[in-house]
Amino acid sequence: MQIPMLLIVLLGFLALAYHLGRARALDAVGGGSGMRKLHSLPSYYGLYVALWVLLPALTILFLWSVLQDVYIVDMVVAQLPQAMQDLPEAQLGLIVNDIRNLASGNIVSGEPSADIRAAADHLLELQGIANMAKTVVVLAFAIIAGTFAWRAINPSMRARNRVEWIVKGLLILSSMVAIMTTIGIVLSVVFESIRFFSKIPFTDFIFGLAWSPQTALRADQVGASGAFGAIPLLVGTLLISFIAMLVAVPIGLMAAIYLSEYAGPKLRGFAKPVLEILAGIPTVVYGFFAALTVAPMIRTLGESVGLEVASESALAAGLVMGIMIIPFVSSLSDDVINAVPQSLRDASYGLGATRSETIRQVILPAALPGIMGGVLLAVSRAIGETMIVVMAAGLSANLTVNPLEAVTTVTVQIVTLLVGDQEFDSAKTLAAFALGLMLFVVTLGLNIIALHIVRKYREQYD
Amino acid sequence: MAKETFSKVEASLKSRYRRERRFQVFGLGAIFLGLLFVSLLFLNIISNGYGAFLQTHIVLDVHFAPEIIDPQDKADVNPQILAQADYRQLVRQPLREMFPEVTGRRDKRKLYRLLSSGASFQVREMVLSDPGLIGQSRRVSLIADDDVDVIVKGHVTREDAIQRFGEAYVGWIENLVEAGRLEKRFNWGFFLNGDSREPELAGIGGAVTGSFYTLLVTLLLSFPIGVAAAIYLEEFAPQNRWTDIIEVNINNLAAVPSIVFGLLGLAMFINLFGLPRSAPLVGGLVLTLMTLPTIIIASRAALKSVPPSIREAALGVGASKMQMVFHHVLPLALPGMLTGTIIGMAQALGETAPLLMIGMVAFIVDIPGGPLDPSSVLPVQVYLWADSPERAFVERTSAAIMVLLAFLIAMNTLAIILRRRFERRW
Amino acid sequence: MFRKALTAAFSVALMVTSASAAARDYVSIVGSSTVYPFATVVAEQFGKISRFKTPKVESTGSGGGLKLFCAGIGIEHPDIANASRRIKRSEQDKCAKNGINEIIEIKVGYDGIVLANARTTERFELTRKDIFLALAKQVPGKDGKLIDNPYKTWREVNADLPNTKIEVLGPPPTSGTRDAFVELAMEGGAKKFADLKALRQAKGRAVKPLMAKLGIPASAFNKKGKKVFKAVAHAIREDGAYIEAGENDNLIIQKLMANPKAIGIFGYSFLDQNADKVQGAIVDGERPTFENIADGAYPVSRALFFYVKKAHVGKVPGIKAYLTEFTADKAWGDEGYLTDKGLIPMPAAERAQFADDARSLQPMDTL
Repeated sequence: MQIPMLLIVLLGFLALAYHLGRARALDAVGGGSGMRKLHSLPSYYGLYVALWVLLPALTILFLWSVLQDVYIVDMVVAQLPQAMQDLPEAQLGLIVNDIRNLASGNIVSGEPSADIRAAADHLLELQGIANMAKTVVVLAFAIIAGTFAWRAINPSMRARNRVEWIVKGLLILSSMVAIMTTIGIVLSVVFESIRFFSKIPFTDFIFGLAWSPQTALRADQVGASGAFGAIPLLVGTLLISFIAMLVAVPIGLMAAIYLSEYAGPKLRGFAKPVLEILAGIPTVVYGFFAALTVAPMIRTLGESVGLEVASESALAAGLVMGIMIIPFVSSLSDDVINAVPQSLRDASYGLGATRSETIRQVILPAALPGIMGGVLLAVSRAIGETMIVVMAAGLSANLTVNPLEAVTTVTVQIVTLLVGDQEFDSAKTLAAFALGLMLFVVTLGLNIIALHIVRKYREQYD
Repeated sequence: MAKETFSKVEASLKSRYRRERRFQVFGLGAIFLGLLFVSLLFLNIISNGYGAFLQTHIVLDVHFAPEIIDPQDKADVNPQILAQADYRQLVRQPLREMFPEVTGRRDKRKLYRLLSSGASFQVREMVLSDPGLIGQSRRVSLIADDDVDVIVKGHVTREDAIQRFGEAYVGWIENLVEAGRLEKRFNWGFFLNGDSREPELAGIGGAVTGSFYTLLVTLLLSFPIGVAAAIYLEEFAPQNRWTDIIEVNINNLAAVPSIVFGLLGLAMFINLFGLPRSAPLVGGLVLTLMTLPTIIIASRAALKSVPPSIREAALGVGASKMQMVFHHVLPLALPGMLTGTIIGMAQALGETAPLLMIGMVAFIVDIPGGPLDPSSVLPVQVYLWADSPERAFVERTSAAIMVLLAFLIAMNTLAIILRRRFERRW
Repeated sequence: MFRKALTAAFSVALMVTSASAAARDYVSIVGSSTVYPFATVVAEQFGKISRFKTPKVESTGSGGGLKLFCAGIGIEHPDIANASRRIKRSEQDKCAKNGINEIIEIKVGYDGIVLANARTTERFELTRKDIFLALAKQVPGKDGKLIDNPYKTWREVNADLPNTKIEVLGPPPTSGTRDAFVELAMEGGAKKFADLKALRQAKGRAVKPLMAKLGIPASAFNKKGKKVFKAVAHAIREDGAYIEAGENDNLIIQKLMANPKAIGIFGYSFLDQNADKVQGAIVDGERPTFENIADGAYPVSRALFFYVKKAHVGKVPGIKAYLTEFTADKAWGDEGYLTDKGLIPMPAAERAQFADDARSLQPMDTL
């Protein structure tokens, strides 16, 4: 039986087990009228049996599926002629691939030899047997475990507590995934970074002023010395982020103030969702927009006033990134401004202040920490943004703060270093992980500070 | 004294009101700018891309000559003959007849380039599905080359076209237009085909399928895990250091750059576990980890918004904590959780950077048949086409973006409708 | 706790490897971005006509591609590597070390390396000496000793050239275009200097005095003067005048369009496809045209190759049929569809010979 079919059958078993468990519990107390004598509701006894049917069977199915293939292939290989078995492992793997293709009815290359044919038949036969055995074993396990659970049912059994214990276990497991993710991220970047720093000194990376990751691919290649100084990348990243914030913070903040303090419900109901559309647009679309429309526009504009503008100016990428971040800033500030208690506004109006004076002298100072936190989050977002800069920023690491020149960013370099080449031993690919570590640490720091500020601020008025 | 203050205030009133107005104008200006950016972006994309939904075809009278398709008349014995015949001859014949003045080998080759390399496959499909056509003549709309498409749609000026493609080529096209032999048809291929090196044949079918499988994996994993984690953290977790750590950690993960998740996917799933590159399965795993925080945070907010009175009422009538959560709180919070999940899925659909890291940027023509087949996804297809040199790809890139945005807007609208219909205000 | 985590990780790994142990039924191709457009077109045609699946083609650069190719035999490794230069001895050795002893070499055709700029400005007219002087890390100074490249503008290199900043977008070291460029253009330019030319021909004891004359530190000494010469000629400046623009040749075109003062280095096929946007510089008096490259008059031209793992033929379905499709006249012939994409075909005799190699799966000799 194939796995989907098996799962369906298991589902049937589950329903049956539920029903049987429930019935037995009821029987034990003499039907529905004696239900008060049960520790838990009858359905919990059903669930209890059902869980006992399901969990062991799934575990077995999982392990079996994992191990089955390995053993079967070993057995098939053992049946191959000695000459084939003696081949190195990689070659053998290819033959196994051929056998598999043949067995699964795929097109194979050329006319398979008799040995291969026999092996494929053998494989199919073994798979048939194994699948049959798997079905039998899994179902048998389900039945046996279910029967035990079923027999253990008695009115004083704490079925609900047991079921809830299992469910709670699953819930805890799920909440661990987030922790595991962080650990996974840290492990995957740290290990490769350590390997990188064993080749390139840490200080060279952090304080180096030149970035040109050309390392020789082959022993006989020359002209590739390689420099791994992260400063130009960092400066480039900060430059583009700074431009983005120059666009996003004033517009986003003013929009939020207007929407929350001045705008009528009509404008608010229209402008807010439209602005939020900006947040939902995929970054690759912004990248396309920046590279195809904005960058050439800035260039012609600059040239018309006699300025020399690089085709991939930091300005273009920064502007478009700023547009992307506007809704981010505005919705965060909106929250924060709305959290300022009305009493503060009323007090200010009572003293005769105009609206703008109230906003500037009362609301903004009160909301400042929250806004700062929001801006920091936006900065961290700008630093980590990838597609816009990959498509619209440059590749050469210029150490400059001139927004009309091309700069490159940390994320661009990670992408260029890793795409296409998956070998894991050159300083070049390892450098991507070191950059990833740097990016992770910087954004993590920013996030922690920002979230802390925002949280503190919320507590202030709650 | 009082009078003095009054006069002071009065004197400053004018400038204060002026400042007030100025401030308002700034605010309105900011909103106007924001709306302007949205409309600019959409106008730009739509004006670039709407053309791709139509494809230029050349109407030709094709004679299904048996001497070309099946010279030995053996198709009954060996159906392979029909599949392998040289159909290019069939579609070139009518072009030659139409322009008998073209004689040189070079010129002829140029003439043939009016038609897409896909045209012969069109004819092949026709013959394979109906072998009775052999020996007959039919008027067929054949796909034109992307260069023809670009010229006919007016994306290059006539001068540029002549400079690039030569006077003769442009002349032929003008002749075809005059003869009414060119027609624009709805471009079904764009939605059904996989990627191609020929813009006129390239489609988003493969990428959309890839996106579908990737999102399927993401949804199947992230929804149950996200909801379960939210329930635990919101309803069961004791207030201690450990849950504090988990909470801070989730908030941080939500703000970690997506490319870092790509690095995780590359190092863990591909290099350590040996999962295949370019597979939707890996993409789905990476995107699951990425969207989990969003879903957990949204689900927790939904749980939080269920008033404590519901919980107390449930506990009061003797429900266990688990019963209270699953029977009373969860059903009330579910719309909010679904909304969060849809928004998370929309985010995952538009994500590109982490997928670049795990090799989903290869040239893949076949439409993937499952989550283990190599495939690309819609935003990565946009990225790939944006890099292609052929001019016709600009149009297609924009059209692909339109499709992507349509999906995203649909998903977000669904989320809003869901919120409006089912979310209760307490 | 730790042991539990370990077992969990182990079982996940097992599950996952068993998933990846599923058979591969498509051809996997990696390698040069210059051969990529040709390989993808063939792959697409092949996928349509044959009963096999369409091969998966990734553009990784020649060096990167051959590195992956030589990593081993087995379905997780690619079957075919495209290269815009010939495989090197060192790469062959690496292949052999990993058990790949039989490699079939197929020459695809020719490609010229062009130096191009946007059409909006004037066409450059360069010599290889100009190219060397503009791009080498070290050039002979006034006293004949090598000094760090002092040239900032083209006018400083050659008085006939325009007075614009030297700004060249070129491929990174992983690229075959870069290899071919340094070998053909830079070496060709370096040979124009008598001392360097002498160094190239010198052997043994004659090398040292020449090195001293050129001011090369003694630590760079090698018995073969040619090696020392190569180290000088192949070194490209890293002070910003030469910008590594990644493997993506399309990107270079876009950048040239936006920056008319820059020059880009890439394959002829890209020039051909973008002839309305960029123009190729004249090198040593020859324009980069189809005819000039095919008959060898244009000095900076190279052959394109792809390499096939013989061990995979017959194991991964479709390799042989792909070879047949690629080597058919309708693909790489004088009027085949690959020439439409900018490939410069080989003479008929050479084609026949490689088609024969492909048919008989004749592995290449060790270089």
